Amino acid sequence: MTTILPVSSILLVTGFGLALIGLCCILLHRHLLRIIIGSSLFGTGLHIVIVATGYVTGGTAPIIDRALGPAEPGRAIDPVPSALVVTAIVIGFAVTAVMLAYAIRLHSARKTFDIGAFTESKW
Amino acid sequence: MVASVFHPLNIFLLGLAGGFAIPLLVRISTAWLSAGFFIALVGIWVVSGVSLLRILAGEPPIDILTAGSQPPIAISLRFGLAEGFVAASVNVVAILGALHLWDRLRGNYAALLLYLGLTMGINGMVMTRDLFNLFVFLEIVSIATYGLLALERTPAALGAAFKFIMATVIASSFFLLGTGLLYLAVGTLGIDELIAARSGITGPIGEAAILLVLASLIIELKPFPANGWGLDVYETAPSGIAAMVSVGASAGVFFSLVKLLPLFEHQFTILAAAGGLTFLLSNLVGLKQSNIQRLLGYSSVGQMGLLLLALALLHQTGRTASIPLVVGGLFLNHLLAKAGLFWIAAVTRQRNVDNAVGLAGHPLLTALLTLFLVAIAGLPPFPGFWAKWELVMQLTSAARSPWVVLILAGSLLEAAYMFRWFVRALSPQEGRQVAMPSVSALFPVMAVALLLCIAGYVAARASGAGAPWIFAPLLVGAALFLLDWMPGRAKAVLMLAAVLSIGGFLAQAAQGIAWLFAVLLLAGSLTIAAADLYRDDVRPGYYPLLAVLLLSIQALLRSSTSLEFFFAWEIVTLSTGFLIMKGRRAGPHVLSFVLFSLLSAFLLLAGFAGIAASSGTTDLRAFMTRGPEENVAFLLLAVGFLIKAGAIGVHVWLPGAYSEADDDFTAMLSGVVSKLAVFGLLMGTYLAIRSEVGLELAHAMAWLGMLTTIAGAVMALRQTDFKCLLALSSMSQLGYIVTAIALMSHLGWVTALYLVANHMMVKGILFLAVAGIILRTGTRSFAETGGLARAMPITFGTVLVAIISMSGLPPLMGFGGKWLLLSAMMDKGWYFLAIAGLLATFLGFLYMIRLVGGLFLVRPEGGRVTAGEAPASLLAPQIVLIVGIVILSLYPKLLMDPVSAAIDPQFASTLVWNGMSLEMIYGYWNPAPTMITAVAIALILGLIARLLRPAPRPDAVDFRRLVMLDRLVPGLSVPPVAVVFWRSLANGSVGAADLVRRLYTGNGQTYALYVLSYILVVYVAGAGLVGLWIGD
Repeated sequence: MTTILPVSSILLVTGFGLALIGLCCILLHRHLLRIIIGSSLFGTGLHIVIVATGYVTGGTAPIIDRALGPAEPGRAIDPVPSALVVTAIVIGFAVTAVMLAYAIRLHSARKTFDIGAFTESKW
Repeated sequence: MVASVFHPLNIFLLGLAGGFAIPLLVRISTAWLSAGFFIALVGIWVVSGVSLLRILAGEPPIDILTAGSQPPIAISLRFGLAEGFVAASVNVVAILGALHLWDRLRGNYAALLLYLGLTMGINGMVMTRDLFNLFVFLEIVSIATYGLLALERTPAALGAAFKFIMATVIASSFFLLGTGLLYLAVGTLGIDELIAARSGITGPIGEAAILLVLASLIIELKPFPANGWGLDVYETAPSGIAAMVSVGASAGVFFSLVKLLPLFEHQFTILAAAGGLTFLLSNLVGLKQSNIQRLLGYSSVGQMGLLLLALALLHQTGRTASIPLVVGGLFLNHLLAKAGLFWIAAVTRQRNVDNAVGLAGHPLLTALLTLFLVAIAGLPPFPGFWAKWELVMQLTSAARSPWVVLILAGSLLEAAYMFRWFVRALSPQEGRQVAMPSVSALFPVMAVALLLCIAGYVAARASGAGAPWIFAPLLVGAALFLLDWMPGRAKAVLMLAAVLSIGGFLAQAAQGIAWLFAVLLLAGSLTIAAADLYRDDVRPGYYPLLAVLLLSIQALLRSSTSLEFFFAWEIVTLSTGFLIMKGRRAGPHVLSFVLFSLLSAFLLLAGFAGIAASSGTTDLRAFMTRGPEENVAFLLLAVGFLIKAGAIGVHVWLPGAYSEADDDFTAMLSGVVSKLAVFGLLMGTYLAIRSEVGLELAHAMAWLGMLTTIAGAVMALRQTDFKCLLALSSMSQLGYIVTAIALMSHLGWVTALYLVANHMMVKGILFLAVAGIILRTGTRSFAETGGLARAMPITFGTVLVAIISMSGLPPLMGFGGKWLLLSAMMDKGWYFLAIAGLLATFLGFLYMIRLVGGLFLVRPEGGRVTAGEAPASLLAPQIVLIVGIVILSLYPKLLMDPVSAAIDPQFASTLVWNGMSLEMIYGYWNPAPTMITAVAIALILGLIARLLRPAPRPDAVDFRRLVMLDRLVPGLSVPPVAVVFWRSLANGSVGAADLVRRLYTGNGQTYALYVLSYILVVYVAGAGLVGLWIGD
């Protein structure tokens, strides 16, 4: 399969793009759920970037099967970044769950999802 | 067997197994749940403790590769000395923290699980040798924290937790990105491999990776200004959780940074700047804060900044040998003291600094709070003190003085708000008394206090100042504190016995001038302290503190290195401050006393560091051989000691502190404690002997002393409060001594010591006499008393003798002092100073006449004052002091010969003193005939006056005029420039604090923006603006 751009570049651009969208979402939207979605997007974008860094041109999945014999590990992409990202996805999932739980409690405390309503402690 | 049971890997086994077991145990019963939790938690601590002991016993660091394979498949951990130290100390605090939080944790299995996870995660962060694994443990700690923060259900706490999550998610995502990029650049995640390959980490990706990891770790340490999210959590979280976040989680992050530090060798300046900015500004903002947990939050982030700063600078200057003492000491100090402060605030239910809780009635709680505050302010005997000393020494010798200034300024600000809390907490509170907490609530606090004391001793040994005599005053104080339940007078006797025996033992080892001071001050201390017997109330804590003070004075005079001197100096300062606090209305004055004392102490520290840097030794004998290169150090020391002597401009702490202290203690303050500043000044002045600039500075100091004398006298003239008048008179008299020292001649110094002896006895008598008058009349105001000559004849007599000796009238020793001073000034050619001295003497006469007239001769306008004679226990010490005055008046050589001998070795060899020999001066002044002549002249004059005029009525108009002088003088005197100056400085600082803290808007998005910008700034600072451009 040939593409105009290497797969890794497409992934990098997509990943950083998503991360930026996520950051904008965190900073610009006052709604708690949107902020949570933003941080999820931010994390996902960075996950894609890290996966992209492990890409080897023309490489296949690092699983020894019919497509990849035991004698040719060089043809596989680097498995370490993928392993990192799998772990990070799990962590990200947990963090998102905790944030959502807080959002529910915050809403039941103030009947609003506006982050501007939670500024009692300051200075 | 033992090795496998206590293998560090079992920390994780216990953490995870405990975590999985807890949801099952809760099904059985709450008791099982609690037992399972504590078995796991205590097990973690035991494993870390035993492993640490093994390493201390000489075994090699324990390297662990899990699953019998190699990284990256295996998890790589290491348990070495540093890891063991951090892990074991965090784990013990974790156990105590769980006990403190027990009311909230009990039966709440989710919270127990999270707490266990948090502790295990911190251990993991400390032990791991793999960057990605570090990320995982960081997230375990973070998620556990998020969960524990939900223990508090108030909207503010929930909002704060949400902000916390937002910020840490951003930071940890960047950490992950940095990790990924670092792997891309180097091909490994092992920390050791990364460090080995660090020189190869170049190019945009490697550089960006390093900076991202660095920036996100700094963010996790809550740097200014990107730390609002952390502060909000400190403010609103349950105290136990806030403490764990402050000391435990931060310890994990900080130690990660320590491990990765070699990777950041080009970014030390960034680290130092981040730390310095945080330390200074967090402590500034703390000034305006009154919520205690938020205040502790500011202090926490400040301390982390200090740790960062110390770590980076010591590495940058190649002084890595000092890192264990400095960074380890500061870390342990913060860990224990901050946890203790969070807990004690909760135990005493104090949420706001301004709401006094009336701790004064609880000696134990008071002692604990005091101990933690002293420790966190970096004062002795706790590890922070030794660490800061070493840090300042190292940075000064590495020519990093601006950083030293920053560290000292930040420390002063921190001490300011910490002692504000202390003063408020201890202020007597009508009707409100804090309920005595239960033993189980107190246990963690006391345990952590004990650990802090042990840590202080270990750190002292590590600093090379662990000699037992250094700690003798504190040990005696502690022993007396245990006997504090005894009746007041019994304690006074015990205290006197302790001071006599231990103080005598300490004094005999002092040498030269220090020995003279030691003997003089020991005699003075005992005599004046004996007057404490006039009070029969319990005075909780008074006698132990007094013993600490009086013995520390002796320890100070005995010290042979500047570290020992400084240690004793700080203990003297602290015990004095706490003793002044015993006065009922002393609160605000204690704060200014402590702050000026600390300012003075920090100047001394800088001065000592300067001398140590240029001479290479902390031995005090170096003072006598140094030359012109020490001018800056001399200036610092001189200003430091002058602050403590209450010199003009920096005297503002003095009147209040002297007036509001207990009456008998003021006698000690003025008579004995103030002489330490004089001793220090004498010692520091050696530095100035050998340089022209030094002599110029000394000339300036002489004028400063004389102006202090005049200003003190003028202010005394305006006083309507006679105790305050005496306080100002004390300031005035110390001015003479300063001038005498500044003469830099043999004669000047002999005079100084003569004046010291005179002033000690005179002020001892006067303040004790005033204590008697206040006791009998219940007032300190001239307007409400008077005409006491007949009611209190003995007191009248002692005051009269003291006044004559102080004023410099013949025949008593004050006359000799003045004579010597004037001779020395004329000898030196300082004629203007001599004239100023005469003016000062005249002003002195005026306020002294006011004192005698106002108290004893003139009747108050209201009519008769009925009062009895002062108690014998107050009179006896005065009479002993009078005997001293008479002896030294008649036989001045008893004092002067040893003084002269003690000074000679230094001056005989220098050219400075080439005037008349002392014997010639003595020749002019042979006391016996002079005194007889003077008395005769006085008698004749008196007789003539009597013959020429009819006998005047006792309450003659002249006296009344003099007593009412305060109504005439204001027109003549200057406005209180110094008071206005210092007050505006204080208000300015608080105003600045208020301005800076507006950064913390409380909005989570603003905080997120700060975090992002901070990362960007770190990136640009590391990579330059070019780093923002993609491509070559």
